Amino acid sequence: MTKTIVVTSGKGGVGKTTTSASFAVGLACRGFKTVVIDFDIGLRNLDLIMGCERRVVYDFVNVIRNEANLNQALIRDKHVKDLFILPASQTRDKDALTLEGVEKILNELSKTFDYIVCDSPAGIERGAQLAMYFADSAIVVTNPEVSSVRDSDRILGLLSSKTKRAEEGREPISEHLLLTRYSAKRVARGDMLSLSDVNEILAIPLLGIIPESQAVLRASNGGEPVIMDEMSDAGQAYADAVARFFR
Amino acid sequence: MTVSTLSIVEQPCFQFKASFIPCAVLQLLHYDLDAIHDQISATIRCAPNLFKGSFVIIDLEKLNPADILNYAKLKHIVATNGMVPIAIRAGSAEQQQAAVMDGLSLLPAAKLNITELDKQKNVQQTRQTKLVTHPVRSGMQIYAKDGDLIVTAAVSPGAELFSDGCIHVYGALRGRALAGVQGNMQARIFCRSLEAELVSISGYYLTKEDMQTFTAKDGMVQIFLENEKVRIEAI
Repeated sequence: MTKTIVVTSGKGGVGKTTTSASFAVGLACRGFKTVVIDFDIGLRNLDLIMGCERRVVYDFVNVIRNEANLNQALIRDKHVKDLFILPASQTRDKDALTLEGVEKILNELSKTFDYIVCDSPAGIERGAQLAMYFADSAIVVTNPEVSSVRDSDRILGLLSSKTKRAEEGREPISEHLLLTRYSAKRVARGDMLSLSDVNEILAIPLLGIIPESQAVLRASNGGEPVIMDEMSDAGQAYADAVARFFR
Repeated sequence: MTVSTLSIVEQPCFQFKASFIPCAVLQLLHYDLDAIHDQISATIRCAPNLFKGSFVIIDLEKLNPADILNYAKLKHIVATNGMVPIAIRAGSAEQQQAAVMDGLSLLPAAKLNITELDKQKNVQQTRQTKLVTHPVRSGMQIYAKDGDLIVTAAVSPGAELFSDGCIHVYGALRGRALAGVQGNMQARIFCRSLEAELVSISGYYLTKEDMQTFTAKDGMVQIFLENEKVRIEAI
């Protein structure tokens, strides 16, 4: 059975794309055939983080509009076997996505992939709602500060009401909290929310804590997901988070 | 075939439609035809178009039930000022009978109507309780119509609870809770951990700022209305 995972947050800039990229690599390294989809139509970033921006020919919207088939649009990752990227379109906007179009593509991907990772755009509008609609699991990326926590809370509300599983009354989407950009030092000083502060509001199982790390920026600019930097703290934290996903 | 069948279907002459038409209520405080005439004329002079052609109900509620009214003259005064008298409301049995004889309709008194509605509402208010067992997240709204609302999980900041009756929250209450939203002043809010952004009983409210002296440490509290003021009390 193919599993669809949405990486979402509500708030922008908290690390959704970084997480999507590292998580997809982590899944593929465990031998699962994985595809990661960039739902951020118009603000394409995933290809940069994955280091495949020079190989983008067709994109998600092209496939929805039948201007290309899936195999033409999927980009094979250079580093990890069994990992593919479906890039977003940079020239369209999020209204180019349709429920039917997304469903058709996910159904087709389900035939060959074990995991589909959906990298959600920020916000709670169409793009974000479509990214989560068909999900089986959700990774809610949250920074330890109040506005990010509130936005994540809002997203959790949508996950339990505006998704296919919720509408059909099936078993709810499994929710996982990933706390990113965490700095124990600043928590100790009291200028950052602690894990228990965040948990008090969100109250969902913790998948991992990614420390604030220079390795993340370095990895982004280098086009190699940070999980591949095995010596870095953030890379190890992502590897741990992926391991915890299977527990 | 079809054409001939259609042609013999009778065309209806009319259809009944429900409609709400605004009308003015002329509430008589004491019966003096000359004074009434003068006052209406003066009022109409000030606002000639406001009452032009408008239907008028003559309300006798405040009038002495023993007064004997000359409806013909009363109707004439109203009509010559450009309005259309259609009915009377309230009044004694004699007054009502005379009005009907003079061609005015009879409307039930306004007060009776309200008490009847209130009775119906009270019956409905105890009808059902809504139970919510999942966390109420930011941006969610839950409304318990005609009854109480019980939430056994936490209510996040930015979430909103509404109830026609009482609200009970067993997780932390961090969002807004509005009880008795249809006007039930007896409604109360009960919660174990009051960290709410706003609480309201029947439209009277306290914001988080107003509640600063009450912290979550105070434990179980009830929030209710007393002399049109919202009160918080530990239980």
